Amino acid sequence: MAKMVKTRVPMPELSVETRLKTFNEVPLGYTEEQAISEAKRCLQCKDAPCRKDCPVHIDVKGFVKKLAEGQFKEAFLKIKEDNPIPAIAGRVCPQENQCEGTCTMGKAGDPINIGKLESFLGDWAMRNGVKEELVIEEKDKKVAVIGSGPSGISCAVDLRKYGYKVTVFEALHKAGGVLQYGIPEFRLPKKVVDEELLYLQNIGVDIRLNSIIGQNVSFKELQDEYDAIYVGTGAGAPFFVGISGEGLNGVYSANEFLIRTNLMKAYNFPEYDTPLVVGKKVGVIGSGNVAMDSARSARRFGAEVYILYRRTKDYCPAREEELRHALEEGIHFMELVAPTRIFGENGWIKGIELQRMKLGKPDKDGRPRPEKIEGSEFIMELDTLVEAIGTTPNRLFLRTVPELKTSSHGIIAVDDKLMNTEGIFAGGDAISGGATVIQALGEGRKAAKSIHEYLSKS
Amino acid sequence: MEHEIVRKEDLNQQDYLIEVRAPDVAKKFRAGQFAVLITNPKGERVPMSIQKAENGNVVMFIKKLGKTSVELYKYKVGDCLENLIGPMGNPIEVKKYGNVAVCSDLVCGHAENYAISKALSAVEGNHVISMQTFPSKDMMYLEEELREVSDEYYITLEDGSYGIKGHYRDVLKQMLEQGKIDMVFAGGHTSGYVPLEKLTKAYNVPTMVTLRPIMVDATGMCGSCRVFIDGEMKLACIDGPIFDAHKVNFDYLLNRVQMFKKQETIATEHYNNKMMVK
Repeated sequence: MAKMVKTRVPMPELSVETRLKTFNEVPLGYTEEQAISEAKRCLQCKDAPCRKDCPVHIDVKGFVKKLAEGQFKEAFLKIKEDNPIPAIAGRVCPQENQCEGTCTMGKAGDPINIGKLESFLGDWAMRNGVKEELVIEEKDKKVAVIGSGPSGISCAVDLRKYGYKVTVFEALHKAGGVLQYGIPEFRLPKKVVDEELLYLQNIGVDIRLNSIIGQNVSFKELQDEYDAIYVGTGAGAPFFVGISGEGLNGVYSANEFLIRTNLMKAYNFPEYDTPLVVGKKVGVIGSGNVAMDSARSARRFGAEVYILYRRTKDYCPAREEELRHALEEGIHFMELVAPTRIFGENGWIKGIELQRMKLGKPDKDGRPRPEKIEGSEFIMELDTLVEAIGTTPNRLFLRTVPELKTSSHGIIAVDDKLMNTEGIFAGGDAISGGATVIQALGEGRKAAKSIHEYLSKS
Repeated sequence: MEHEIVRKEDLNQQDYLIEVRAPDVAKKFRAGQFAVLITNPKGERVPMSIQKAENGNVVMFIKKLGKTSVELYKYKVGDCLENLIGPMGNPIEVKKYGNVAVCSDLVCGHAENYAISKALSAVEGNHVISMQTFPSKDMMYLEEELREVSDEYYITLEDGSYGIKGHYRDVLKQMLEQGKIDMVFAGGHTSGYVPLEKLTKAYNVPTMVTLRPIMVDATGMCGSCRVFIDGEMKLACIDGPIFDAHKVNFDYLLNRVQMFKKQETIATEHYNNKMMVK
């Protein structure tokens, strides 16, 4: 057996100085040699815990082995058996809580850099034009997929592999859902998203852009035309904190901040039409991935940026890499504060009042509940505020389909087969209210299987 | 070809009309709704008022004001838009209101005036009174078409060179005084909604106005177009764009629409410079 290598092959990254001047991707990616060296660190454990904790159960051990042997094509195809978009998932999965979190090497040293090996293979396949060769046995039945985000993509791909005719309806003018409008270029280049989406078209999935169910296409029309429907509409509507002053200019939802930046390319304004006003001092409420994305974007617009979080860094729900990058990029992390009001001058935000918090007893997810410290309010001057406190399913879609069963905040209810009502299935953030790309992928795949069973019976 | 411009005409020195091939939008359009237009792959998503949608075509009224509207004015018949998406937003409730005043004092409002007057005229028991305001006679348009779709028509010009001198609110006030109005729909200058709301409130007449906050996706995702209706946050794109004027917080709205003024100037200058180089 080869000698155990405890440390990772370092991932080359853009220097902080360069990062702050561009929206280019931060990790530069492994070379072929680096990827092989990293893959060779894998112990090839018998029980492969990495696979169990993956929401789509990628054969990590299998693909890493092929990669270590330099068999890139075989390694890539191994991932593709379980994950249709490796170049994306490798970049955005919270690996530290999944495959890398259970990696045996992690006990002795650094876990295998599985995410970066996965994206390496996705990128390698794109560069070399390597594709899965599929033989699709066409079926007569048709399925409509609403939403072209992660869950819609994986559901569409699997349904197509089963042989169904699949049409994906996307409300925006570009496909990809949150991958397109939400996650910034420096974390997930849109070129990668567009390339991965080409794969859908190559296998015969019909993607219809600008199709807003309930506005220009009715749900009834879909029911009449398709044998089953998958609802992958995501959680695209922003929550606001609900404090005074949210109407002031300079206050954004993270969704607006990121849609302007990513989908509309405000960082290339005025070459692109859509602007974004970013002040000198920006506050971001929240500390999930969306908060990090907003903060890091604001930093690239030249601002001094403060994350305002009601717990401490230890309980920050963002991916480890995002938090690390944010801190490297000089973003200040203010712990144990919650906003109480926003104040302004001449119609623009001038600052925020914050209240100090302390950590209390654990709540149901095990994190300590933040508790207010009465009388601890203080003022912080800001000229831009971004609220990144979560999203909810879009009521535009829901109210046009009253027959769908929903729970609180319009979250779509499903049974263990991900079916809502006869012939209508759902997955992704539309049923969770907000989770990860990979969980959405997993649900899309699971729903495709259920739809296949459902259509095979009828 | 999708989204081809089939007609383009000047309405006056500032305003123009374009008719665009967009069967999907046209098929579903109902009065009160709008469309989102994108001129080119680098373009912004701009909400546009629709005058009418017939035979698979959509007719929009546009003022040459910002970068996109100036750029679009240079497009010729036969050119194609990058996208025309919609219809967006909610239609008005088409029902019997009795005597309905439909009023407008700005380009987008005039387009909506036509759509709303036409829809309401088709309901038995409605008496539709259409009113328009322009600065002067050389600026006016749509009179003939509006007369066709309404029961009564009034034009007011600020300089008094034709029709009645003043603003549509002056005519409306007289009619309200006489108890002749049961319902008001208005579209146009947001600042004009403030005195309008005060006026109709005094007579306790329900008044619906089209709000025009800044939008990005216009599908309920970004929250840019948030407005406060009776103190509650609503999104104009999916909850509106037409709201009860007596419940709207106009101060808030008038401030919000100023947010990108500086950037709008930068965009226009950038565009003009680019055109000069060409």
